[in-house]
Amino acid sequence: MRHRWTSGRVIFAGLNIVFLLLIASTMIIPLWNAVAVSLSSNFGSMASGILMWPRHFSFSGYRTIWTVLDLWQPFENSVIVSVIGTLLHVLLCAMAGYALAQPELPGRRVMITLILISMMIPFESIMIPFYVTIQELGLLNTLVALILTGLVSGFSILLMRNFFQSIPQEIMESARMDGAGHFRIFFRMCLPLSTAGLATVALIEFVGRWNNLLATVLLISDSSKETLQVALNGMVNQGSSTSSGDLVTNNVKMAGIIIAIVPLVFVYPFAQKYFVKGIFLGGNKE
Amino acid sequence: MSTSEVVQPHRTKTLRRPVGYAPRRWKRALPLYFMLLPTLAYLMVLTYYPLVHAVVISMQDFNLIGNRPFVGLKNYENVLSDPNFWGDFRNTLVLGVSILTIGFVAPIVIALSLNEVLQTWLKRSVQMVIYLPHLFSWVVVGGLWIQLLAPAGGLVNAVLAVFGVSPVQFMSDPQVARWVIILVSVWKDVGFNCIIYLAGIVGINPSLYESARVDGANRWQEMRHITLPGLARTMQVVGLLSIMGVLRIFDQIFVMRNAVIEPKVNVLMTYVYDEGFQQMNIGQATASALLILVFTLVLTIFTRRLIRYDT
Repeated sequence: MRHRWTSGRVIFAGLNIVFLLLIASTMIIPLWNAVAVSLSSNFGSMASGILMWPRHFSFSGYRTIWTVLDLWQPFENSVIVSVIGTLLHVLLCAMAGYALAQPELPGRRVMITLILISMMIPFESIMIPFYVTIQELGLLNTLVALILTGLVSGFSILLMRNFFQSIPQEIMESARMDGAGHFRIFFRMCLPLSTAGLATVALIEFVGRWNNLLATVLLISDSSKETLQVALNGMVNQGSSTSSGDLVTNNVKMAGIIIAIVPLVFVYPFAQKYFVKGIFLGGNKE
Repeated sequence: MSTSEVVQPHRTKTLRRPVGYAPRRWKRALPLYFMLLPTLAYLMVLTYYPLVHAVVISMQDFNLIGNRPFVGLKNYENVLSDPNFWGDFRNTLVLGVSILTIGFVAPIVIALSLNEVLQTWLKRSVQMVIYLPHLFSWVVVGGLWIQLLAPAGGLVNAVLAVFGVSPVQFMSDPQVARWVIILVSVWKDVGFNCIIYLAGIVGINPSLYESARVDGANRWQEMRHITLPGLARTMQVVGLLSIMGVLRIFDQIFVMRNAVIEPKVNVLMTYVYDEGFQQMNIGQATASALLILVFTLVLTIFTRRLIRYDT
């Protein structure tokens, strides 16, 4: 050990661990409680008391929210918007990042400045003219509008650009000598060499799109085009009854929340590594 | 050719360009412009055009359908004389300053505490767990906490009842609800910021600790004089990101507010939304959004100057 273990240090180490476990428990207990409530029966979930284990175990919460309240439809919309949106986002931002990494590109400065300025404009502050533009394009109430929202971002472009700039110039130079064009170099060399960058952008974008609320709130009024977050917000947080007047019991609410978390669980093992990488490479979250 | 440009960009500029250089350069760059086309189109149509349009809308009596007469600066006057705007402005300040302060200190404390843990498995598990809420949407986080804090059947009040405390109306007492908003906001991001700090700690030169130990420094002194100063740059990055984030708060309030607590928790971005899409005062809402944007830009430039972000 680096230092001697005095009794003071042992006590400190113990208290330190207790402190951390307390912090961690504020994250675990809410989730544990949600799972327990979601697996309780309608009646069991509404009873008061500390509920850390399903009361009258039942899947009725999941059944109700999925088929009676039709959460499958918004879930499907969210999958479509998140998956297609993320793939396009990664491709377009990588292409832009590649182009902006080429030192010989005329007008590079101007374009980078345009991108940097756009990063200082929060989406929230232009939500009204954004809505008006989508209306002018005739795309209100379409999933296309949701895919378009945030199709490229300065953050992702600059992150990819940093990645491409770290690829040794000699490799690309020799490919160019062999007569390879930009597209060939981009798809055959740069993309395979930048999988970590692509993964970072894809993960951040997927989570952002899956969790996005404002775009749907603004652009979608037709309930068949709603995304999961908006539908869930209506069922879980805004009053306790649906439009049809049924009471939404706690097990149904928590089942909805667990369903919204599930896709993130698949992403989670990679998230920590790449999210922090994103912060350091991009130097900016948005 | 391009390699030498990377290494010595200042020298190539002074060289005389050979005849026919410029057209060839443009021709070679053509595929690059093609690659940039979607990005430039997006920026023009869905960022800069809306921005310019916002200036026009803010001076109109704007209707989605029908005519849109110009009214000069009347919308701005209406915003600045609207007590709701100033109320929401105050709320943004109160919530923002509290979230920034607590949200700045908490992850540093937890990161330093985690750094003292010698059991790697424990450290790793705590890290993984406290990071979770950052991944969840505000609908999920809001839903979880509204449920936990419910006066009847909520876990928190059930625990309080064990200690004989009568149920607290967390989400219907405006003063309490404000604190709920602040603490839940900190709760959501504390793990993420903590991991950024831990990455910063790993980046500190280990020889600094070695020489400190040679000089007989104890662990407290190491933390105070090496770890904390070593994290200064990380603190700047996290601080700047948080300041920008606080002015954009929307989702959390949209999800967690209710009619009773709204006067105490509504923020500037919910003002824009409510004014524009609930009251349909689109011109006035746009004027307020532009005022907020200018305020955000000034604050961003000011803080960047202050902490010399780019050095």
